[in-house]
Amino acid sequence: MTSDYPIRRVAVINLFTVLARWSLGAAFLFLGLAKALHPVDFLKLAHQYGLTQNALLLNSIAAGLPWFEMFCGLLLLAGVAVRGTALALAAMLVPFTLLVWHRALLLHAAQNIPFCAVKFDCGCGAGEEFICRKLLENCLLLVLSVWLLAGRGRQFCARYGLFGR
Amino acid sequence: MHRTPKNDFLYGDRIRAGGRFCVKDQPVQIKVTDRRSAAGKILREAVLVAAAGVVFAFAANQVSPRGLSLARNYFPTGTPEAAPASAVANPPEAVPGAQAAVIASPAPPAAPKQPQELPVVDRLRAVELFHNSHLKAGAIVFIDARDEEHYLGGHIPGAYEFDPYHPEKYFPAVLPVCRAAEQIVVYCNGGDCDDSKTAALLLRDVGIASRKMVIYGGGITEWTTNHQPVEVGARNSGNLSIAIQ
Repeated sequence: MTSDYPIRRVAVINLFTVLARWSLGAAFLFLGLAKALHPVDFLKLAHQYGLTQNALLLNSIAAGLPWFEMFCGLLLLAGVAVRGTALALAAMLVPFTLLVWHRALLLHAAQNIPFCAVKFDCGCGAGEEFICRKLLENCLLLVLSVWLLAGRGRQFCARYGLFGR
Repeated sequence: MHRTPKNDFLYGDRIRAGGRFCVKDQPVQIKVTDRRSAAGKILREAVLVAAAGVVFAFAANQVSPRGLSLARNYFPTGTPEAAPASAVANPPEAVPGAQAAVIASPAPPAAPKQPQELPVVDRLRAVELFHNSHLKAGAIVFIDARDEEHYLGGHIPGAYEFDPYHPEKYFPAVLPVCRAAEQIVVYCNGGDCDDSKTAALLLRDVGIASRKMVIYGGGITEWTTNHQPVEVGARNSGNLSIAIQ
């Protein structure tokens, strides 16, 4: 009985990892699709961040990001290059979360309301959301991405690693 | 000597094992090398995924009917030809009755955000222009700067559809009437909506005199809230209704 315990634990962790991969993949597929279907709306929201005055750069971000997210989502769902994709998503999530947080701080100061009462469409693909909820969601996505980097849960993967194990 | 991976650390060419230094041995060296190799693999994989993703993304944008044009400036700024306040107060080509409709003073503080360089009219002025006899003659033109879906859902009767993010589709219909018009009222949703400004600047960039253009700041939201008539469907569809929100 006691000897089964580690095996069971590994199985549970693997199952959790597979579910995490599918959840993360589905989330990015959904968020990317929502933006790709309305690229002009996403462009306007991206413009509000005032990141750049360069039209080519702004258009490239607005045109490419939704499809890039969908691409990563599909890779995770299919189980292709899982750790590389997870790393790419984590690298993307960190600056985006900081940007959203920074914008929320500006709105918080401008509207003079509690931070968690700040509600706006951050251009993340899910429409208007309260900032605290949005930040929590992003943190969860980030945790799942980092979790996938550990290399567990390789079941149901078309090609887990592009370069062997 | 018994060691666990948790209390092994590299210090130069030595290994601290359980609080004591010893010369590194083969298993730990392999373990560290494996980790570095794995990290390198993940990084290479991430770079490959990113590169493939970027190629996929731009190809998809190119193929998508809703794709963005990368080279276009969707947010024109600057007002080299914009009308100053004095020109707004005394527009040279102003339609009789329409001249008074243009606000020379800035919008009140509570008014929605609008560009400084383009004059803003309030609801009363917009309604006055709408009922002006010159509207039917084409001397006064209303331009709806929202997308097609919203336009078809209800617009100011007789307004021309002009989505500034897909202007090429609407230029053939809109440019001739704007050139002939003496007063052009551009509106969008109102509130924080900047599309009316974008549309006006776009029209200015293709040669429509900005002194003829005004922005209806309240937009369709204010219009419908105040029970003004809206036309549902295509322009001149005749499907008029009074929207109540």
